[in-house]
Amino acid sequence: MRLSPTAFGVAFAAALALLAQSLLVQTAAAQQTGLLEKRESTYNNIFIFGDTDSVTMTFGHNKRYFTESSMKLSDPGALTVDYTRMMTVGLAYVPKVERILEIGLGGGRTISYLKAALPDTAILAVEIDKDVVDLAKKYFQFKESATLRAVVADGRSFLMRDKDLWDIILIDAYRGPFVPFHLLTKEFYTLVKSRLAPGGIVVQNIEPSTMLFDSATATLNSVFPSVDLYDGGGNVVAIGYDGPSARQTDLMARAGVVQARYNLRYDIRTMIQNNRRVLGRPTGKILTDDFAPVETMRAIEQNNEKWKDQTEAPR
Amino acid sequence: MPASLLRGLLLFIIAAVLGFALMGFEMLASRYLYPYFGGGINTWASLIATVLIALMLGYLIGGALVDRTMSPKLCGALLIAAGAYLFSIPLWVDPLFSWILTGVGDGMAGIIFAATALLLLPLTLMSVFTPFAVRLLLTSVSFGGRLVGYVYGVSTVGNVLGTLVTTFTLVPLFGSRALTMAFAAITAACGLVMILASRFLRGDRP
Repeated sequence: MRLSPTAFGVAFAAALALLAQSLLVQTAAAQQTGLLEKRESTYNNIFIFGDTDSVTMTFGHNKRYFTESSMKLSDPGALTVDYTRMMTVGLAYVPKVERILEIGLGGGRTISYLKAALPDTAILAVEIDKDVVDLAKKYFQFKESATLRAVVADGRSFLMRDKDLWDIILIDAYRGPFVPFHLLTKEFYTLVKSRLAPGGIVVQNIEPSTMLFDSATATLNSVFPSVDLYDGGGNVVAIGYDGPSARQTDLMARAGVVQARYNLRYDIRTMIQNNRRVLGRPTGKILTDDFAPVETMRAIEQNNEKWKDQTEAPR
Repeated sequence: MPASLLRGLLLFIIAAVLGFALMGFEMLASRYLYPYFGGGINTWASLIATVLIALMLGYLIGGALVDRTMSPKLCGALLIAAGAYLFSIPLWVDPLFSWILTGVGDGMAGIIFAATALLLLPLTLMSVFTPFAVRLLLTSVSFGGRLVGYVYGVSTVGNVLGTLVTTFTLVPLFGSRALTMAFAAITAACGLVMILASRFLRGDRP
């Protein structure tokens, strides 16, 4: 069939219009509401939900959705989930912040925030699920650069193979409602400790509503002599470090220096002042690779505030 | 109780116990693999494939051996060897897996290598038992179909219980290292019974 030049022109214009239309739909996608995308990856069922001013990544589990990350479209730099702000308080604990490792990327909001505040710090995220990395880029403005990178690997596997040392290791690895057992054992924390630079710390997001919390903090405390806990509105952020428990005045003084230097949007002094608790009496059973009945412990629920019984106010 | 009935009972008990231990080992193996290779669907796929390959090899080897020898002693010796191998797992599993992780990586090749080192040999030796049990119990071809059905059925009941009881009760109570050694000892004990009761199990057939 021969096309006349006019017919060809019309067809071409129509094709262009269609292409433009589909591009418009793409860019407008984030403003849509409801389910934006559903992906069944090797590890998770991932659902991206949109609202008028937010986008949320959730993992579906037992017919429930567990929020992994959330972003405000009109203010992408905001940390909208309470505990993610607490994840940044570790900055006050370390002598230097040249290198940060995060296990469990989610939407990448926490490390994108840290990246913006500390442009000279090298940040690496280890995420087991390639689709999570893809979706973080697609919906959560996660951008890799020379100093902010993501690798796809199991967190523990990665630490075993990669011998680099880090100033802060952030652990926020959830598969739906729970942390995989091999990221909660004494052997794991010993490995984490061996990958910390002098004065380095580990910061972990732990969910306090079951018996497993008591064991997780006790296990952390069996490897790190000092453990601080921060109430993050439903979740608890645990910080493990070497040496005796930091004195509140010293910590506040260091937080003041950090705050002045980096001008952090969420003032870490306020968090230390209002939310810091010191783990004084760990009561849980220590978990090991050999003995980690996490499924059983998870089944025993406890009051959301009960974890505070094991802690004391900082001195 | 007639001797043939007693013989059947003994072999069925061993079949169930070995079936229990075999799936118990598969569940325990996941606990050894997770810390090194992660706890995803890929770890399970590699583990299940390895166990199925072991079953296949065991059935083939067992069938060939029993037609040649009819010797319960031989089967018993293989079970004791399996038990000894499994008993030693906690001693070498960590250094070996770290070596595999650095040398081979945590992809499919690495996980299958690790699962193979852990389970292929002992589980092959354990599943040699099934053709032995069938052949030792087979006195008449007219009963052959039901006999094979019973042996597999009883062994599968053991499999099911081994999977569920190990996971939901034993691992939370005892931890995986102690359980590995206990199951290994039970496997070896089954082998010992086969050797001690060898004459009885063979019956008075030529």
